[in-house]
Amino acid sequence: MSCADTKDKPALYQRVVLKNASPYHYMKVCLVLEDESTRLSAVNLKQFIISGLDSLYGEAGAALNFDLLKYDEDTLTAFLRVYSKGLVKLWSSLTLLSLYQKQACAFRVLQVSPFLLALTGNSRELQLD
Amino acid sequence: MVRVKSRYLLCEINVTDRARLLLLDDRAVAAAVRAAVARMHGDYGAALCSIRFSVKYLNAHTGIVFLRFPKRCYRLLWSALPFITCIETRGQKIPCFLNCLHVGGTIRTCQKFLIRYNTQQLHRMIPKCKNEEEKQEIQKAILNCTLTRGNKVEFEDELESEKDDDDDEEEEEEEE
Repeated sequence: MSCADTKDKPALYQRVVLKNASPYHYMKVCLVLEDESTRLSAVNLKQFIISGLDSLYGEAGAALNFDLLKYDEDTLTAFLRVYSKGLVKLWSSLTLLSLYQKQACAFRVLQVSPFLLALTGNSRELQLD
Repeated sequence: MVRVKSRYLLCEINVTDRARLLLLDDRAVAAAVRAAVARMHGDYGAALCSIRFSVKYLNAHTGIVFLRFPKRCYRLLWSALPFITCIETRGQKIPCFLNCLHVGGTIRTCQKFLIRYNTQQLHRMIPKCKNEEEKQEIQKAILNCTLTRGNKVEFEDELESEKDDDDDEEEEEEEE
């Protein structure tokens, strides 16, 4: 959107909006379990997410390709990558996953972005000293 | 102007043993479709199926079935139909597969297509007739094919009796 010019003609302000900027979307998620001391391996976590996709979207949903890029076992925080058209399915099935081996659990979605670089910084965890 | 729209899928159920076809009823077919959709598309598909899905017409003699789906999600539910391998009725499992012949917006358009399709099938049966008498019967049946008000495809009675005789040869030829 451009501002109305005055006689001085100041620099025009332009905002560029990119649609479908990136073929992938990246998510930073954290798994919160009832029993804090349980540990999952990366394979277990991926299997758990696939089972969630399967219960909500069936076999067609379980076939959705997503990648676990980075996983921190101590804090149970993971970086996921999925094709943009599969983002809604993945996010909704993460929301509705509630039981891990009879323990109550929840996925906290910390950040979502079409660009991986955007996940490096987070204004919530910003420390101004 | 503002109207609830549905899509009607005209499907044909193919079974290896024609005698088992007569055991089918619409509730069994509906249950089989719902199970296949729930397996392929999960809770989301099962919920879409519960809105306006029903089996509108089933002909046990020819294996033709009309399925109704809501217009906005009929392609998703259609994609689950090839995964139906058997239909369970009265404790028996009938192995079969569904073949979709036509998609229509109303039952009437599907009915018109079905009449044209059946006349083509009758035309194909003529060269395979064993004697002159059967040929006469088929030709008479073809001339009788009409769409009458309030009556479903009215020439089916003749069709089923000849289909039983010539159907084995016809099915073999179609498979080739």
